[in-house]
Amino acid sequence: MLLEMRKIAVNYGKINAIRDISIAVPEGKIVTIIGGNGAGKTTTLRAMSGMIPISAGEILFEGQRIDHLPAHKVVAHGIAHVPEGRRIFKDMTVEENLRTGAFLRRDKPEIERDLEQVYDRFPRLRERRVQRAQTMSGGEQQMLAIGRALMSKPRLLLMDEPSMGLAPVIVEEIARIIEEINAQGLSVVLVEQNAELALELAHHAYVLETGNTAMEGPAHELRGNEHVRAAYLGL
Amino acid sequence: MMELLAQTGLNAVYAASYISLVAVGLVLIFGVMGVINFAHGELFMAGAYAVVALYADMHLPFFVAVPIGMVFVGVLGLVMERGLFRPLKGNPLGGLVASIGFLMILQSLAVMGFGVRMEHIPPVTQEVWRISDKVGLPVARIYVIVAAVVLLSALWYFLKRTRFGWALRASAQDPEAAALQGISITQTARIAMFIGAALAGVAGALTAPLVSVNPHMGHSVIVTAFIVIIVGGVGSLEGAIIASVVYAFVHTFVTTFSDGVLADIVGLMLMLVVLIVKPTGLFGSADRA
Repeated sequence: MLLEMRKIAVNYGKINAIRDISIAVPEGKIVTIIGGNGAGKTTTLRAMSGMIPISAGEILFEGQRIDHLPAHKVVAHGIAHVPEGRRIFKDMTVEENLRTGAFLRRDKPEIERDLEQVYDRFPRLRERRVQRAQTMSGGEQQMLAIGRALMSKPRLLLMDEPSMGLAPVIVEEIARIIEEINAQGLSVVLVEQNAELALELAHHAYVLETGNTAMEGPAHELRGNEHVRAAYLGL
Repeated sequence: MMELLAQTGLNAVYAASYISLVAVGLVLIFGVMGVINFAHGELFMAGAYAVVALYADMHLPFFVAVPIGMVFVGVLGLVMERGLFRPLKGNPLGGLVASIGFLMILQSLAVMGFGVRMEHIPPVTQEVWRISDKVGLPVARIYVIVAAVVLLSALWYFLKRTRFGWALRASAQDPEAAALQGISITQTARIAMFIGAALAGVAGALTAPLVSVNPHMGHSVIVTAFIVIIVGGVGSLEGAIIASVVYAFVHTFVTTFSDGVLADIVGLMLMLVVLIVKPTGLFGSADRA
């Protein structure tokens, strides 16, 4: 397993945001976490990247405990997090955003090569290189957020609601990009409100309900599951 | 008349130089740490007293005393970050109150070390750069202008062209997203605090021979700096520099052609007008204020 979360609990004050969640991410796969509002999807992802402290359980990445590390140290292990709402640096240019993604890296020639790769993947970012990120559309900002995460050269990409607020054609484009990135060997954890999209992309899925794992299994099996179909796919 | 205008213009450039050094430091600290550093005027004062101690009392060369003073005040900034702002992280009001307490400590230390009287500092140079018979600028003031241009350009280069500069700007815009890029917020806070304090310190050190140095000199400096950053737009470095120039020209011209008290009133009116017309300041945006 590339990443393993074992019996994680997270409390916000006296409220348990998540209670007993175990998630395993195999190397090279897309794992999705779906569930309704307040089910604990984002909290789970934030726990993975060290943005919030866990109150129980452990998180292992490539066999090493990472659950005690602050967010800026988790990145160094090879986990990149594309946060909910994209959170790009709006007053910085597109290129500055991307280079900030490579903050921890010192391998200059390779940074330049990866920057070119991101521009090849997202030609629109190349066109807008020197433009302030704020001036871009939602889809472009999402691409920038993904590109920025890729610049850290991660082994695992965490994505929180990448489809949120985007037009259907852009969502399709983002989906294609996620598949492409995964096909090139990057493992992905995808948190999505859009369960249909998520189950289509993912190899394995977890369904969270009120801070607990309600179900898990291969994504195609869950797509056929009665409860999932009724509760999350609206069928 | 032309000569008087030219002379007043030169004086205003000098005033704009040290005001912008102070204001930019204040904006940088606010941007990265989210706290308003009320002790910023006292950091300016500490820079001036460094020159009193090293140059006037210990007779070190002025241009040795100034950089030492700058680094010394930068270190004071690090002390503030570690002792006040880090423990009060996420509590901007607490940070503000703590910085007021620190201001009083610095003032008291200055009184204990040097007394309340005004310090006499021997002039660094009596030379005056002359454009014509009646228009000229003392070389000591030119030092301040040159230092401001050099240091602010260096800061601009640092923020726009280096990875730590990007890290600083990223932390100012979205600390959480910055942490996700591997940026340590504690480290960027430390860098911002050092640079911001050092800029106030160097402004105080360079102007020490030109102004009256006393333990309470920071007061008028911080008031001016607040007006400037409000006019420029809280959080905007460019705004702080431009507003410094605007304020310095208005203030210097009104002082020259009328008097200093009226100049203070006009300065405050300037701030009020900007707040009414564009509440976010000339260069501020709503999401940063």
